[in-house]
Amino acid sequence: MPPLTYFVVESPDAVGREVYERIASDVLQDLDLIKVIDRLHIYVDPKVPIFVAAGLLRHMPREIRVSDFANINPGDAEIVLDIGDETYLAPLLRELWARFGKENVDQPDRFTVVLPAGVVGEEELERLVVADPSETLYKDVIYALQYIAPEGFKVRRQYIKNGKFYYVASEDTLPGDIVETVVAPIFAKMGETL
Amino acid sequence: MTTLVPVTYKGGVYRHDEIADLIDDLGGYIVQKHIMAQDVVLQSFVPRDDIGLIREVAKPLAGEVTEAPLVGTEIAVVSPSLEIHHLPHTACDIAEYLRRAGAKTNMVGLARGFGKRIANLNDEERDIINEHDLAVYALGNFEECIRQKFPVLRRGVRVPIVVTGAPDRETLMRIVDPPAEGYVGGIGRIMHRFKRPEELAKLDELVDEVSRTLDARRDDLAKDPLSVFPPRLMAIIEDRIHEVSMLTHPTPVTVQMEGLRVKLPYDPYAPAVRSLEVVEGVTVGDIADVTPSRMRNYILIRIKPFSETGVLV
Repeated sequence: MPPLTYFVVESPDAVGREVYERIASDVLQDLDLIKVIDRLHIYVDPKVPIFVAAGLLRHMPREIRVSDFANINPGDAEIVLDIGDETYLAPLLRELWARFGKENVDQPDRFTVVLPAGVVGEEELERLVVADPSETLYKDVIYALQYIAPEGFKVRRQYIKNGKFYYVASEDTLPGDIVETVVAPIFAKMGETL
Repeated sequence: MTTLVPVTYKGGVYRHDEIADLIDDLGGYIVQKHIMAQDVVLQSFVPRDDIGLIREVAKPLAGEVTEAPLVGTEIAVVSPSLEIHHLPHTACDIAEYLRRAGAKTNMVGLARGFGKRIANLNDEERDIINEHDLAVYALGNFEECIRQKFPVLRRGVRVPIVVTGAPDRETLMRIVDPPAEGYVGGIGRIMHRFKRPEELAKLDELVDEVSRTLDARRDDLAKDPLSVFPPRLMAIIEDRIHEVSMLTHPTPVTVQMEGLRVKLPYDPYAPAVRSLEVVEGVTVGDIADVTPSRMRNYILIRIKPFSETGVLV
């Protein structure tokens, strides 16, 4: 696995620590998250029991706008969208239908979408947000951590915002101040504050 | 009396029936037959003295005869759950490897086998595990968890148990109390396939441990032999109850060390199985208990020992 800038697994159980290092790298590799996560610190103690994973994301993918994958050709009677990449075609159509109604959105072929002239300005259309990959990315990161954590640790608290994330899980009820007492020191080790 | 030894025959489909006939003629039994595309795998029992002869006949067919210590056994691979955390790796890899050694393996995914405090075993799981010859428990990575949950997961399980987990063998031996029959350390919850040489070596170690444990049971059986050799009873059932041939299971009649699992519904077929004549004057009901299996609605046959029946077929 190409190294994250910071990757530490801590555990009082030496054997478990080693295995969890491998599990974490396997899962991140499988879910293709190595490029996304910059720093990751895992602490797991089965005796407490607690599992904490905290870290930073490298960069968040930006929102996808119409101009990223389509050319807009405004004409006198209609606006023609020339689709370059089909990946976001489905969410685009959904968005256009919602805004202008199905009767106004015509798709004569796979790579062309036609709107009547005047329903929307060119610039507004170009800047229209079609999808936000970071939404699914958040889910992927949390899913990965859920996958890494021991299965019995069902009680959990998770957070992902502004490029920082943490995931705390246990078998028992988590104390209310767990973030301040356990997660914050881990961020401090990485030279960050939550 | 000739000793039958478990072997695996691997070869092509072409003329494999000659091998099957030969095993039959020599007084051996084929307990499982797999045809995969061009390849055939026969799990069988053959007389020890005739292995050379089978090798000879198999030579022009490019067939291979290897010793397979686990032929004729049904093993439960117990996984703490069927979640992505525990499957497919570890449990499936273990099951697959044991199958290569000739065993018939069943995966038992526990409903609540995870979490050291909340883990438990329900009666259905316990009974199903008890219907096997041996159970392999694929446990996790932490010593503390294994120490706490294993006593719960083995509650009521009477068959021999081989425990696997990430801590080394000595640690497992220390934390498992009362002792289990076998231990293999260094196999915990992992997220990748067993493919490195050291990982495969661990699986080999597991096969050795399982066969050692079963050998101990076989030695006990030799002191008080079963009234009929299970593969022989299998041959009789397959021969006489023709519905068995219509089942699509890979092993419609599964051979165990001390019995058989017949994959026919219990209610309509149990009387027929019970009254089946093994030799003149001796029926299956005389020498075995025919009981409903907890696995679906199958029939489970437990063959009684000679000391109980006074019959040796």
